[in-house]
Amino acid sequence: MGPLIPQGYVNPDLNLFFAFVIGLGFGYVLEQGGFSNSRKLAGVFYGYDFVVLRVFFTAALTAAIGLLLFSYMGWVEYDMLYVNPTFLKSAIVGGIIMGFGFVLGGYCPGTSMVGAVIGKIDAMFFVLGLLGGIFFFGSFYELFRPLYEADNLGGILVYDSLGVDRDWFVFLFGMVALASFIITRKIEDKVNGVELLPKGLFHPSYRMPFFMMLFLTLLNLYLPGEPRSKWYENDAETLLKAAVSASHYASIDEVAYKLLHEPENDLLLVDVRSPDEFAAFSLPGAINLPLAEVLSQKAEKLLGDTRKNIVLYSYASTAADQAWLLLQRRGIQNIRVLQQGLNGFFSAYFTGSNQTESRSEQVNFDLRFRQRAMKAFKTGEAAEKIVTKGTPVTTIVDIMPPKAGKGGC
Amino acid sequence: MEQKPKAYMNPYLAGFLLGMVLLASFFITGRGLGASGAAKSVVIETIGSVAPEYAKENSFYASFFATGDGRPMRNWLVYLTLGVLGGAFFSGFMSGRAGFKIDKGDQISNTTRIVFAIAGGFLFGIGSQFGRGCTSGAALSGMAVLSASGFITTIAIFGTGYVIAYFFRKLWIN
Repeated sequence: MGPLIPQGYVNPDLNLFFAFVIGLGFGYVLEQGGFSNSRKLAGVFYGYDFVVLRVFFTAALTAAIGLLLFSYMGWVEYDMLYVNPTFLKSAIVGGIIMGFGFVLGGYCPGTSMVGAVIGKIDAMFFVLGLLGGIFFFGSFYELFRPLYEADNLGGILVYDSLGVDRDWFVFLFGMVALASFIITRKIEDKVNGVELLPKGLFHPSYRMPFFMMLFLTLLNLYLPGEPRSKWYENDAETLLKAAVSASHYASIDEVAYKLLHEPENDLLLVDVRSPDEFAAFSLPGAINLPLAEVLSQKAEKLLGDTRKNIVLYSYASTAADQAWLLLQRRGIQNIRVLQQGLNGFFSAYFTGSNQTESRSEQVNFDLRFRQRAMKAFKTGEAAEKIVTKGTPVTTIVDIMPPKAGKGGC
Repeated sequence: MEQKPKAYMNPYLAGFLLGMVLLASFFITGRGLGASGAAKSVVIETIGSVAPEYAKENSFYASFFATGDGRPMRNWLVYLTLGVLGGAFFSGFMSGRAGFKIDKGDQISNTTRIVFAIAGGFLFGIGSQFGRGCTSGAALSGMAVLSASGFITTIAIFGTGYVIAYFFRKLWIN
């Protein structure tokens, strides 16, 4: 369902309001953590105060694991999160310049604002310098531009770049953080002349981070690689393979057979035409899910039943193929398309001649089935279901588009 | 140690809460936190209103005025920063830390501290443009979504800091 605003669950006009509220929390925590004090911040470089490292690492890990957990629970669509693009050279150069800025100025932009607002004069001047620096960059933008725009690697992820498994990366990240907490505590004690307590690893000052890290990283390792929701993205290769193999077609004969043999009917027929067209006529037991809605929230609930054999159809198979592609991309596996569509179905069982000159055993077998099926459809009770106007079946689920939702949950 | 950190929150708790704020930000808006973006908006807004002709010619500003809604201050990061100011003031005021003050090492004068603060801010201004965000926007939020640039920027910032810290030690330690 999340992120809420990009998915349309929350009015985008409230975006700025949420920005302000989130900012309140951000500012409050930073100030409470001691980030308004430049001397405390600079301590990370001199070993007398590692508050920056502790807060920074803990926050990054909490958020990273939180997002993976949310994604696993299906609460957040990981693909929709903003991943800052990697411009390798620019990022390194920028980081180096910021490193100088941090040691010289004792602040970073966020913390300087936190300091400035509670009266830290050095922070106020830092903010002035910050504005000046951005103005400087803007003034000589043409000069910086080649470097600024060089080597765009896109929104690449760190574990992909390193070629390691995501969960192991997060686990190692957590272990590195934990090790740094322990080491920096010892350094801090030494620099500040505090006697080291002979309690080893379970020094009370890192009992909390130890268990926190252990919990978070183990939690992450415990999570399976794939989200619990089936709505994760299929990679291009799998998708292409499936599309090219064309093994995703259900023949009209199979559908007809199953419609006529109720006990064997495990089909979930999904009409992807418009609601009006659906109301005019459709196949028995079908539900209507217009093409535009296939990725909506309701669609997830309807198509989430893995025991069902889902068959999509439209007049021909074009719209249904599109819907199949969208759903396949979202990782829905047990889904097929009615070959030749409704038109094929109707011409085979209602208007078709069902004549052939072929002597092939298989063709003739199929033909006999069609002739029998045609009779059954036209004379049996199945006929009423199909040809009557209005609501064709009892199991139609109201699937009007949700007001705000655009993507899946 | 004139600053007894007792008044401050346990750093791990603060980190956890900050992580929760970051998580909330991603959950609600799909993006992380940031601070330098608001400063950029202030600069763009100022240049745009003080020297509109210049802003049109310079591609750094022009690109914004061409694509944006022409209102740099009506921006997510600006409102976030307004919130930061509010939240920080509330916290500092309630904890009795609000008041005019300069934090510095014992060896330098207030003037030196101010000069270096301006210089540091200036560098951060440039660096945050190259890095497409500062410590919060590029480094912290970037690491939260496990982006490569988040880790690269973090390592570059702190790595550089450790390399050069020795040369500027008088600013902070005895």
